[in-house]
Amino acid sequence: MHELGVAGEILDVALSEAARHAAKKVTSIRLRVGVLRGIEPENLSFLFGHLARGTPAEGATLDIVEEPVRVECKGCGVSEARSFTWACPRCKGEGVSVTGGDSLSILSLDVEA
Amino acid sequence: MRIDVERSILQSADEAAAAIRALLSERKIFALNLLSSPGSGKTTLIEALLSRFDGKGGVAVVEGDIETEIDAERIRRHGVQVRQINTRSTCHIQPSRLLAVLREMDLSATRLLLVENVGNLVCPAEVPLGEDARVVLLSVTEGDEKPLKYPLVFRTSDLLVITKTDLLPHVTFDVDRVRRAARAANPAVEIFEVSAATGDGMSALLDRIETLRAAKSG
Ligand SMILES: [Zn+2]
Repeated sequence: MHELGVAGEILDVALSEAARHAAKKVTSIRLRVGVLRGIEPENLSFLFGHLARGTPAEGATLDIVEEPVRVECKGCGVSEARSFTWACPRCKGEGVSVTGGDSLSILSLDVEA
Repeated sequence: MRIDVERSILQSADEAAAAIRALLSERKIFALNLLSSPGSGKTTLIEALLSRFDGKGGVAVVEGDIETEIDAERIRRHGVQVRQINTRSTCHIQPSRLLAVLREMDLSATRLLLVENVGNLVCPAEVPLGEDARVVLLSVTEGDEKPLKYPLVFRTSDLLVITKTDLLPHVTFDVDRVRRAARAANPAVEIFEVSAATGDGMSALLDRIETLRAAKSG
């Protein structure tokens, strides 16, 4: 459900950037999404497609670069995981703190003039 | 043609949150953003805070709810300034809405602002409201898996309040497990265990909030 708000924000940014560059059509949008955001890529793409209808971003694809959870472990250093965990994914130690995995960014747009 | 953007999707929300932060600091108002699933005890905590601050005045409450005014009515009976934000289709309070409401309120005597966010652990966690402290409540009846399922809210909260601890003998809930998970998500999180029914732990929590408030607004 929360993908709807995110899809709306992506569309707003894409349309204003496209207009700023006098582009007529947005063909794809590259995003970085951290695992901690709990976003379903398929759901996000579906909702974006729905919102983009009738705009210059209609039919644009979302290219989602997933950012893993980054954990600093007192036992073995730094490791990364595909989902949140309080134990280190490598050494299973519990002395971890989460240092990354909550990105929610638009990296670039592909547009046609 | 490729356009490099590299900007946070939440940038416009962040700008509104920054405006709220500026408004609050100019007026020396300490603001709490309360997050939890429905039924974890946000409104009850607000009522406890109102009793604590009774007679000192200066408390204002903003209630976020998808449709109803039930919580706002409950708070209004305490005779404090309450505003309701109905979010309709949105599952969190948007900072732009809160900013508009704050600009309409009379905050001249306000020292403590309590914002009860919409009841879920996902969307409100993503959107900062310019608050001074974020409080996540987790009742023991919800199960101890929540920090694993919804890490972002635990990662971004300053205080974790485990509520309804009087029910611990009747439910499967490992407090230490939740403490460990919350600490991994956010090593600085302050954890409180309370029961509104028995009063256990409430005064420690209210004392801490009062200390935080006094540090900002005197
Ligand atoms: Zn390790």
